[in-house]
Order: sequence, then structure tokens, then C-alpha cells
Amino acid sequence: MNAGAALTLYVMAAVTVAAIVLAVVPLPASARRLPEAIGIAGIVATLAITVTQWGERQVAFNGELRIDRFGLLMTWVIMIAALATLLLGWGEPAAAGRRREFTGLVLAAATGMMLTVMSGDLITLFIGIELLSVSLYILCAMEVARERSLESGLKYLITGSIGTALLVYGFALLYGVTGTTSLAGIATRLDSVGGLASDPLLIAAIVLIVVALGFKASAVPFHMWTPDVYQGAPTPVTAFMGTGTKAAAMGAFLLLFTGATSQASGDWRGLIGALAVATMVVGNVGALLQDNVKRMLAWSSIAQAGYLLIGVAVGTTAGAEALIYYLFAYVAMTLAAFAIVILREREVEDGDQLTAMAGYGRARPWAGVVMTLAMVSLAGFPPFAGFVGKFLLFGSAVDAGMTWLAIVGAVASVISVVYYLRVVIVMWGPPADDRSTVRRLRVPPAVAAVAVTGAVAIVGLAIAAQPMLDVCADAARALIIP
Amino acid sequence: MPWVSLLILVPLAAAVVLGVLPARERRAARGVALIGSLATLAISIIVVALFDRDMAVMQQVDHLDWIPAAGVSWDVGVDGISLWLVLLTTVIFTLGTIAACQRLPERRGPAFLALIMLAQAALLGLFTAGDLILFYVFWEFMLIPFALLIWNWGGDDRRGTGMIFVVYTMAGSLLMLVAIIATALTAMDATGELSFLIRDMQGVAFGEATSTLLLAGFLIAFAIKIPLWPFHGWLPRAYSQAPIVVTILLAAVMSKAGVYGLLRIGVPVFPEGIGNLLIPVAILALIGIVYGSLLAWRAPTMRLLVGYSSVAHLGFIVLGIIVIDRMAAQGAVLQMINHGIVAAAAFAVVMMISRGTGTGDMDRLGGLAKGAPRLAVAFLFVTMAALALPGSNAFVGEFFILGGVFDQYAWMAVIAMLGVIYAAVYMLRMYQGTMNGPVRGVTDDGRAAEMGARDAIILVPLILMMVWIALWPGSLVGATRASTDLALAPAQVAEGRPVEQIGVLPARAAMTPATDPAERP
Repeated sequence: MNAGAALTLYVMAAVTVAAIVLAVVPLPASARRLPEAIGIAGIVATLAITVTQWGERQVAFNGELRIDRFGLLMTWVIMIAALATLLLGWGEPAAAGRRREFTGLVLAAATGMMLTVMSGDLITLFIGIELLSVSLYILCAMEVARERSLESGLKYLITGSIGTALLVYGFALLYGVTGTTSLAGIATRLDSVGGLASDPLLIAAIVLIVVALGFKASAVPFHMWTPDVYQGAPTPVTAFMGTGTKAAAMGAFLLLFTGATSQASGDWRGLIGALAVATMVVGNVGALLQDNVKRMLAWSSIAQAGYLLIGVAVGTTAGAEALIYYLFAYVAMTLAAFAIVILREREVEDGDQLTAMAGYGRARPWAGVVMTLAMVSLAGFPPFAGFVGKFLLFGSAVDAGMTWLAIVGAVASVISVVYYLRVVIVMWGPPADDRSTVRRLRVPPAVAAVAVTGAVAIVGLAIAAQPMLDVCADAARALIIP
Repeated sequence: MPWVSLLILVPLAAAVVLGVLPARERRAARGVALIGSLATLAISIIVVALFDRDMAVMQQVDHLDWIPAAGVSWDVGVDGISLWLVLLTTVIFTLGTIAACQRLPERRGPAFLALIMLAQAALLGLFTAGDLILFYVFWEFMLIPFALLIWNWGGDDRRGTGMIFVVYTMAGSLLMLVAIIATALTAMDATGELSFLIRDMQGVAFGEATSTLLLAGFLIAFAIKIPLWPFHGWLPRAYSQAPIVVTILLAAVMSKAGVYGLLRIGVPVFPEGIGNLLIPVAILALIGIVYGSLLAWRAPTMRLLVGYSSVAHLGFIVLGIIVIDRMAAQGAVLQMINHGIVAAAAFAVVMMISRGTGTGDMDRLGGLAKGAPRLAVAFLFVTMAALALPGSNAFVGEFFILGGVFDQYAWMAVIAMLGVIYAAVYMLRMYQGTMNGPVRGVTDDGRAAEMGARDAIILVPLILMMVWIALWPGSLVGATRASTDLALAPAQVAEGRPVEQIGVLPARAAMTPATDPAERP
């Protein structure tokens, strides 16, 4: 046992508790940003620690926690999302008065996500997922004065609970089949007892787990909650759900399937492939019909989950590598897009409507360029990061003999062009009739920083694809080490 | 110097500079755009000067690994197929930039010029890419500037048009991406190395069924971009709604992307597949020749007339490539250049007439020659080139194509001849309808449409190039021959063509001495 290995967890737990305690302690006005500052410091410290820990796997708590390259790299995705969320929420008028608990809850959710991707055991994995879910239930309902926000929180709570219940069932069955809750143990058991693959009990466990994680990753047909919740939640929270939660859910998928049950991949490859196909098709078609940018991004996040699931469905480390790369790209694109939505929301009433974006590119060219980059890259136009990611995902599918996945992905991407580019057209088009709606406020530097960093990452991840892929490949290989 | 890379990077840099210029700096924008396009033109002339006419494979190759793990690299160079297209692109874009600068209305600030520069970089990248992924990157990327140009500065229906243009084209190209990945992975099974370099894939035996399937994936993308009948749905709308300068660029340069892809990738990489798809593609091309000509004949506006005539002309080029005959292929490459020059000149004439009279409707124009004699002379010249009058530049290209096609499939040549006849009908209709007859649609005899010095800067170079090619076609064909022979050879062997028809021994084609990046100084 190596206590130092779990250092990131201690740091995150400490700053989370500190932020929550500070939320109830009356603070002088000069220290009102203290919880956020502590949170940001904690996240930066966590990122720094993960860099020093990069190397061979270390375990903590008797293997309950695995600190390996996979967990560390996924922690990066999650912490970047959390950091961006805190910055996006900086001075958010909607969260006024409750800002300090906002910070604490975001940190708690991020800790849960980190626990999920670093887990070495079904129990830890479950605790991680619950920690992130419960924090997000509250975050969604943060704007208690707004009915939509409350509705969003309630909807997420109900569907999330169903997912949780199914996850426990699935884990219980998996334990019943293999006799162990350790991910490494499960892999070893499936490896040694060849007859276990295609065991009805194992298949039942796999189906339940796929459905439960499908809820968390908002895969079709378990996506119904997503548009309502995304639209209703405060926008920084939506951004966090779209990126952090997605990363954690995909991390869980990879740990449980590509990692632990890879010996039984024949049992789940088709199932997850079908899930990916349904998610890509329904997500992209659903997004076509939206007039609200947040809602459109919700549907787009469903569709993007479909592309990501390709990386799980192929069951290879190449698929995992592509998935992790695409996660980074996806997080950059999504955060950049949400940053612009937040910017607009603060300027006008109903700023998340597509019509509110009319002429925004002309009013603020840099914001227009950032949004254009995000949309164009999400649509998969080369040479941006979204294209490189899709190229790698489709490539892994063709390589694994699942060319049909790549073809559906390609067709779905064509559909997606329509709604992504509609945002671009509207933005660079003429302003809406009422010119007063284009109101220009001072741009909050924190939001601008997220937007610009996202845009830089969209280009940078494509140019420096190779070094990034080397890191992703290391992480993917760590998955299959028993 | 990595001239070929500079060819792409210079317009890209100009686009970035133009992108950050404030909208009111129109003077500076003009300067940057003109310097950028002239510098690119100069570089392309250097590339042509350094070109070795006897070398069949890609030369002046710049190679840099981008994603080695995925076999993707920055690999650009020129060969006989791409050389003249590169020069065509830089010339037409220089003229287009001048045209855009001359009448840079208030709204067409630096952004308009920046997008034109981006489009130029993408097209030059496409014509020089030696790596399939790089080819795809440029193929897709050029959509963005063109779509934004249509959206922001197009006609009344610009929104819908831009969307149709993008979605239509993307539908084909994303399937091409899947085909590209599948091709590289299949080739990896044979060679043991993952590489997207086109020269590494040449000579890989894919097997007939696989080869056909993979080629079909590429062909859909090419057919939409060309456009081959029945995939031409986007063309009339895009050509009539885009700003006229952009229409010139679309018709003259972008329309070559599809046929170029067919000759660069389709024929040499999938020789067995070409054999299977030869007749179907040729039939589509023949339908396109006849159908495009008929539509051009009855087209209500000048833009549509020239647009539909492009469908017919590109049908000719496709036919010249797909019959895998040496002479026809040389004609096809020559005709790509000819069509680029003629289409640019024809749309430039349309631009002048529409600007002078305020309309492009055939019904509302007539008798302009009275007030605009100089324009009439230039227009007549362009008309003669467009209908491939013997002695014109297009005649040489069409003669090469038809001669080659006749050698292989006489019946195809007979049907294709219809297109030559129709061309006379619709081009003369356009000339006579607008220039001769009673004066219609204008109050000043068409004096406003007369070609001034500013217009001459654009039209005269194009006419001079037509004359050059008409008189010395050999200067172009001589440089393309080695490369087209090499591209055709494997397909000719697979088709079992007589040995005397084949230009290079296929053995040489298989062991193409790819320029090894390690050997470069």
C-alpha cells in the first residue's frame, strides 16, 4: 500500500470540504472569491501531482484505487472540465448568492469523476459515480427561483436513480459470476475460466451495466432526460455535465469493458456497437430540430457520445486510444461553445436562443471565430481536432472489422453539418431586427479565457496530434494491464 | 526551398493577416491580398521552372510526419498531372483577387479577401497533396471558405444554397474518408506498414472485388464534386447564387478537384476497380455531356448557361480519364486547364454584362455589341474557345480526348460528338442573344457594359493564355505525358490492353522510386 499514491484524492477531498465549509461560514466581502480560489488551487495542485505520478501503476487502499496512466490522463480531462466550469461560473449572475456552494459541489462532482476513472474495484467505481451524480442533481437545481432549473434537477434525479439501481444490479451479477469485485480480478477470472464468456448471468450483468452507463453517458435510448436537463440547468453546470460527466462515463465504460471484461468482448461488442449507432443517428437527427443553442448542444452531446462509444465498441486499445484523444478534443470544442453561449446569455434575455446569436459574429468577431472553430470542428471538418478524433475512431472501427460503424458515423456526421453550420450562418449573418438586442458588455476575462483556450486547443490538438496520441496510447495500454 | 509547401503557406499567411485586419482597413487589405496572390503566383512559376518534364513521379516533394502512428504526413509535391493545375489556380486566383479588389464594396472588407486566400490555399494543397489524409483535409477544408463566401455575399437565396452546397458535398466526402481508411488498412495487410501516401498504395494488389468497392467509395465524392450526372443538383444554385467572383473560382478551379482526384487516386490506385466501373462511369459522363448541353441550350440566365455547359465539359474530361487511353488522358489534363481558362473568361464576361446592364437574364438582353464593341470582340473569342472551334485551345483538348475515346470505344466517341455540336448551339445562342439583334434591356446601347481597362486586366491575360495553348499545346502536354502514362499503366495492364498502347512498363509502375525523405538534403 502506498499512501502517497492517493495524494490527488486527499487534495481534492480537502479542497472540497474546505469549499463546502466556507460556504456556510460568513465571509467578509473581500474574501467572497475564496472558495473558488481554493478550488482552482486544488485543481491546479491535482494536475501537478498527476504529472509527477505519470508512470507505472501504483495502487492504494488494497487495489481499490489504481493510479495508472489511464486514470491520470482521464483525471486531466475531468480536472480541465472542472477548472473551466469554475471559470465559466465566475461572476455568473444566476448563481449569485449561492456561488460558494456551487464551487463546493463542482469540486465534489469532480472528485467523484476522478474516483470513477481511477477505480480498481466495482465498489470504488460505484461510489465515484454516485458522488458525481448526487452533486450534479443539486447543481442542476441550483437556480431555485427558476422553474426550469428545478424541473431539470428533478428529472435528472429520477432518471439518474434508475441508472444507479441498474448499475448496482449489474455489478451484483458481475460479482456473482466472477466471485470478485476487483477489476483486475474479474479480468483474471474471465481469462482463466474460458467457459465464463457467454454465460447467461454474465450477459445479464453486461446488459444491465451498459444500460446504466448509457444513462450516465446519455446514450440512446437512455437519453430522454438530456435535452431538458441541459437546457434547464445553469449553463456552466450544463457545460460541466456535457464534458466531465461524459468523460467519467466513458472512463467507466473503458474500465469495465475494454479493461475488465475484454475476454468476453464477443458478448458486448455488438451490443455497444448497436448503442453507438442508435446514439449517433438519433442524436444528430434530434439536434436538427432545435432552436435553442443549449438544447442543440445537448442533442449534439448525445450524438458525440455515439462517436465516443465507437471507441468502446471496437474493444481494442486502438479504440480506447482514439476515444481518449477525442475526449480531449470534445471537451475543448464543447467548452469553447458553451463559453460563447454564456457570454451571450449574460448580455441578453434568452441569450441561449439561436436567434440571439444573430449577427453576434459581426458584433464580436473573436467570439464568432471561436464559435465557428468549435462548430466546424464538432462537425468533423479537417484539419481540426474533431476531425483527427473522428478519423482515429472510424479508423479503429474499420481496423476491428466493424466498418459499418464507421459508415454510420460518416453518414451521421453529414447530418450534423446542418445544425452545426446553422449556428455559424446565423452568427455571421445580419443582426436580428431589433438592433438593441446586440448589447455589448465588458467580456468577463475568465469566460474569454476558457473560450480562447478551447479554440487554441482545437487547433493545437490537431497540429500536435502525435505527441498527444503517444500519451493516449500509454493510457490505453494501462487499461489492459491486469 | 520548400517551394511547394510555400505555395500553400503563403496564401494561408495572407488569409491570417487579412483575418486580423480591422474591417475599415480596406486599402491595407487590398495590398495584402494582391501581394499574397502575386507572391503565390511567383512561387508557382518557380515550381514550373524547376519542374523536370521527364520525371513521372511526384517531384519537389516536401515530407514531414504529422501523425506517424496513424501513418499521416504532410507530403506535398507536383507531377505532370498537377503542375498546370497549380499554375491555373494561382493565375485564376490572382485575377479573381484583382477583380475583387477593383470593386471592393463596403461590405467586402478584408474578410472577403481572407476567405478567397483560404480557398486558394486549400485548392493548392489539394492539387499538391501526396498523402490521402492530407488530400482529404484540403478537400473538405475548401468547403468552409466557399460556403462562407456564398452565405455572406451571395444572392437572395444564399442561405439555402450554401447549406445545400455543403451538405451535398460532405455527403460524398465523408464516405470517401471511410474509403480512405479502409484503403490504407487493406494496403497495410499487403505491405505491413500503415501509410496514407498515395505512392505507397500504387502497386498494392487489392483484389478485384475490394478494389471496386473502395473505388466506389471515392467515386461518390468525386462525382458530386465534378459534378457527374445525376449528382449535379448543387451546381446550378451555387453558381447562380454565389458572388460572381466566387462563381469564377468555383467553375474555373474548384470544379477540377473531382476530375483531378479521379486521375490522381482513382485510376492509379484501383486499376482493377477501374476496369469494372469503366462502362458505368462513362455512361454517366455521356449522359452528363448530352444533358448538360441541353440544359445549357434552354438556360434562362447567362450564369446557368455557363454553369450547365460546365457539366457537359467536365463530362468530356471524365470520359477522357475513364477510358484509360494515353492520348485521351493527356487531352483530359489539357482540357482541365482549358476549361478553367474558358470558364473563368466566360463568367468574367457574364460579370461585365450583368454589371453594365443590371441583369443576367437571356430574355432581357440583346444588341449590346452596338455600345460595347470591345467586349463583343473579347466575348466572341471566348465563345469560339468554348465551342472548341478548330484552332482554339479547347479544340486541341477535345480532339485528344475524342481521338483517344474513339480508339477504345467508338460508340462513346459518337455520343460525345453530340456535345461538341450542342456546344456550338448554346454558346452561339448566348453570344447572339446578348450581343446581336435589337438592343434590349438597356437604355445606353450597352455602353455601361463596355470593357474598360479594369476589365481588360482580367480578360486579356485569359485570352492570351487561350492563344498560347492553341498555338503551342505541346508545351503543356509534353510535361504531363510521363505522369499520365504512369498513372494509366496499371489499369491498362489490368484491362488487358495491347502492349503498344501502354506507355510505361507496369513493373516500373509498381516499384515507383518514391522520393525518400531521408535522402533529401
